[in-house]
Amino acid sequence: MGLISNGTTIFDNGSMASGFGGSLNFISKQTASSSASISFTSGIDSTYKEYLFYFVNIHPATDSADFFFNLSTDSGSTYNVTKTSTFFGAYNDESGTSNTLGYFSAEDLAQSTSDQKLFNDLGNGNDETLSGSLHLFNPSSTTFVKHFISNIHGYNGGNFAINSFIAGYGNTTSSIDAVKFVMSSGNIDSGDILLYGIA
Amino acid sequence: MARHHLINGVQVPFTAAEEAARDAEELAWTNGAFDRAIADVRAKRDRLIAQTDYLALSDNTLTDAMTTYRQALRDITNGVTTVEQCNSITWPTKP
Repeated sequence: MGLISNGTTIFDNGSMASGFGGSLNFISKQTASSSASISFTSGIDSTYKEYLFYFVNIHPATDSADFFFNLSTDSGSTYNVTKTSTFFGAYNDESGTSNTLGYFSAEDLAQSTSDQKLFNDLGNGNDETLSGSLHLFNPSSTTFVKHFISNIHGYNGGNFAINSFIAGYGNTTSSIDAVKFVMSSGNIDSGDILLYGIA
Repeated sequence: MARHHLINGVQVPFTAAEEAARDAEELAWTNGAFDRAIADVRAKRDRLIAQTDYLALSDNTLTDAMTTYRQALRDITNGVTTVEQCNSITWPTKP
């Protein structure tokens, strides 16, 4: 007895998209130009159950500045959602002599309204940037907390390759409707942040 | 130069109060440079020590080289008082 006989069509052209497939829907893009912060206060609503921010070559004005984000429940008037999170990462220097995988307890949050760090000590050399992503799940839920997961790789100010993994939740059952990104010091000199909704 | 927020693609100038608040944050950042640098050193030291903790269990005898290495890590912050010193630390080589 066989489960699939000769010549059986499992998926025909188009069936994946209509039956299982999702789509990545572009919402907006912002390009930093010596900007103190970048905020998305529109496009985050109940349309999608998952939103995805892509960071492309984020370049800081200040050397070894940190990259942060925060959430808002009032359309960006304030960014102070209580968050609990984890932060771990791997790094390797250009000589290959200093490398490790570790948990960074100083970078996580425990019921804090402070900005959540996404990357540590980003270099500001002409060729030094970070790129990566941030997923925000079901931000419009009024029942559940708001999960976020980020993975970023960047060129550290001390000439390290650093891969940062951050995950946590905004501990609120209010709808999240705005997200802000900022450096710990100085401006976001250049770089793009793209927002997508995942259907 | 006046700062601005980038909100949905539109540059929104800082208010005077926001400029003052950001100036204060920048000053605090500058003044905290050594604290951040030495914290990074301590974190790296702690990770490196932890990587050899299994060799220091009661059913194992540390080699002299490993004992020296671990002590050097514990002493790594001795006399370090500036950011420049933090950034130029010579880390011991793991045996």
